[in-house]
Amino acid sequence: MEVLFQASVDEVTKLIGLEKRELDILEDADAAANELLVSEFEKYVERKYNPEIPEVLKRHNLMGVPIEEKYGGRGARQLVQALFLERMGQSGMGVITFADVHQCLGSMSIQDWGTEEQKQRYLPRAAKGEAVLAYGLTEPEAGSDPASLKTTYRREGDGFSLSGSKYLISNGSVASNMIVFAYPEVGGGGLTAFLLDTKQKGFKVDMRLEEKIGLFTSDTSMLTLEGAFVSKEDILGQEGKGFSVAYSALLNGRIGIGSGCVGVMEDCLNQVKERVTSRVQHGKEIGKHQLIQKHVAFIESSLEACRWLVYRAAIKKDDSEKDPKSLPLRAEADRLSAVAKYMASRCAFESADRAVQCFGGFGYSIMSPVAKHFLDTRVARIYEGTDEIMELKIASSVLGKGYEAYK
Amino acid sequence: MRLHLDGSTSIDAEKETVFNKLTDVKFIAGTLPDAEDVNIVDPTTLEAKLKVRVAVVTSTLKLRMSIADTEPTSRAKLLAEASGSGSHLTISSTFELTGSRPTTLNWSADAEITGVMAGLGSSILKGFATKKVGEIFAGITKALEAEAA
Ligand SMILES: Cc1cc2nc3c(=O)[nH]c(=O)nc-3n(C[C@H](O)[C@H](O)[C@H](O)COP(=O)(O)OP(=O)(O)OC[C@H]3O[C@@H](n4cnc5c(N)ncnc54)[C@H](O)[C@@H]3O)c2cc1C
Repeated sequence: MEVLFQASVDEVTKLIGLEKRELDILEDADAAANELLVSEFEKYVERKYNPEIPEVLKRHNLMGVPIEEKYGGRGARQLVQALFLERMGQSGMGVITFADVHQCLGSMSIQDWGTEEQKQRYLPRAAKGEAVLAYGLTEPEAGSDPASLKTTYRREGDGFSLSGSKYLISNGSVASNMIVFAYPEVGGGGLTAFLLDTKQKGFKVDMRLEEKIGLFTSDTSMLTLEGAFVSKEDILGQEGKGFSVAYSALLNGRIGIGSGCVGVMEDCLNQVKERVTSRVQHGKEIGKHQLIQKHVAFIESSLEACRWLVYRAAIKKDDSEKDPKSLPLRAEADRLSAVAKYMASRCAFESADRAVQCFGGFGYSIMSPVAKHFLDTRVARIYEGTDEIMELKIASSVLGKGYEAYK
Repeated sequence: MRLHLDGSTSIDAEKETVFNKLTDVKFIAGTLPDAEDVNIVDPTTLEAKLKVRVAVVTSTLKLRMSIADTEPTSRAKLLAEASGSGSHLTISSTFELTGSRPTTLNWSADAEITGVMAGLGSSILKGFATKKVGEIFAGITKALEAEAA
């Protein structure tokens, strides 16, 4: 196993305990991350989506890591899922975005909210990689404030037809199925989550958003729904209770993004260590200059500070799942997932910035191993809740319900 | 930046044929992917221009390769130096043959990389080198087995 990841696994094994089947998942993650190295690099430099990501995950039986074994997945608890994504994060946020959306926002939402029939229909396919999932909340005019989204549904025959526009959707043009959120066209009811088959007439990929400043190996798309049909069996959760589905997905997703950011910091540390111990300027290795050591110390401290923050959020989520009726446990898991995502994404971005600095001019090229982290971690401070929304959420968790500034 | 790679492959040909071919610079020249302007300097040395493609970036390296320390029909060394596009590579590799038809080829290579290419980092370089070496050995195995057939 990669050395820093092995250290994480050893520590978690010692302090918390990991079963053999859980260690197997992490061994597979290590092998998959190694296998993705070259294609991720090549596609990044070409600024193209990397179709190898799902293929490699499939080959290592990692598409359904958090899906229960009875549905064909690996049955990983949140802590193991976090470790899995930590290792994948060393390959970059492109890989994390694919896996986080497919698994944390997609499969886990179906597992948490789906009927038995929905679980049977979707989860085995998602675990095998026959189905790829996306999550469609954001719209051109509704991002941080999803309550203002404009996609609507109306009854049609035995189901519903959906109309609207979804913007900045990861896996949007490669997904077979997508969780879509919409309001009823009439009657003023609440938001509802649907499981949409992207092969349905009326579903259109408007454009692949390839002009991003980074995250090239991840697919991001703009989608249009023009009367796209979903059957009445495709409502996820209860009609009108879509916000519960949306927010619980984001709770899982934020732990995933935080985990990926820990992996990014590990890769930054590895790359910086190698560079500053081999590059010579002013007659000595640049790692012997104290101001370079300051960057090394920052990256190392950020990594150590965030690693257990992410694990704690994951452990709290596992506790909450064991006792689903406990609202305080759930609120604590929600709070910690926001804190973990907020800190890990900021620390990863700053670590990547410092890694670029250690690489000097070559660090400014996307051929360097650290530039992609600098460009890609920026998005971790935006998607699945911006820094500001995380700050509001964390502050109100401290100050109390009357201080929910984002409502 | 230092890299070490090793591996082994099984070739369905006589040990002597494998040895003779692997110490024949003309044969080696034919198995190098993307080599141009190949010049056989003497029976143990060749020069060529090598096009190295890393993602969308192609660099041209001037290569000088020689065969040394031959111990027929068991082992030999392949030494190479390449430079260009701000990078310099020194490679020292050894191969050893055991058995015959199939012949097992065990090899190891140590590379020292400096300049721009070193900046890619050892993990990426190792990934690329493994891929390239795999292609080279696939070519060698195919050519040798075709000859032995
Ligand atoms: C590459 C990429 C992939 C994405 N993938 C997905 C996906 O798969 N599915 C999906 O549904 N969405 C996805 N998104 C969308 C992402 O979740 C949104 O961009 C994000 O939630 C912010 O929304 P917005 O872009 O509309 O910004 P806005 O909400 O317009 O925010 C603009 C700025 O205003 C601030 N702001 C907004 N409201 C407040 C407030 N009340 N107080 C203080 N500051 C505030 C924000 O923090 C931000 O700084 C993706 C985005 C990107 C860039």
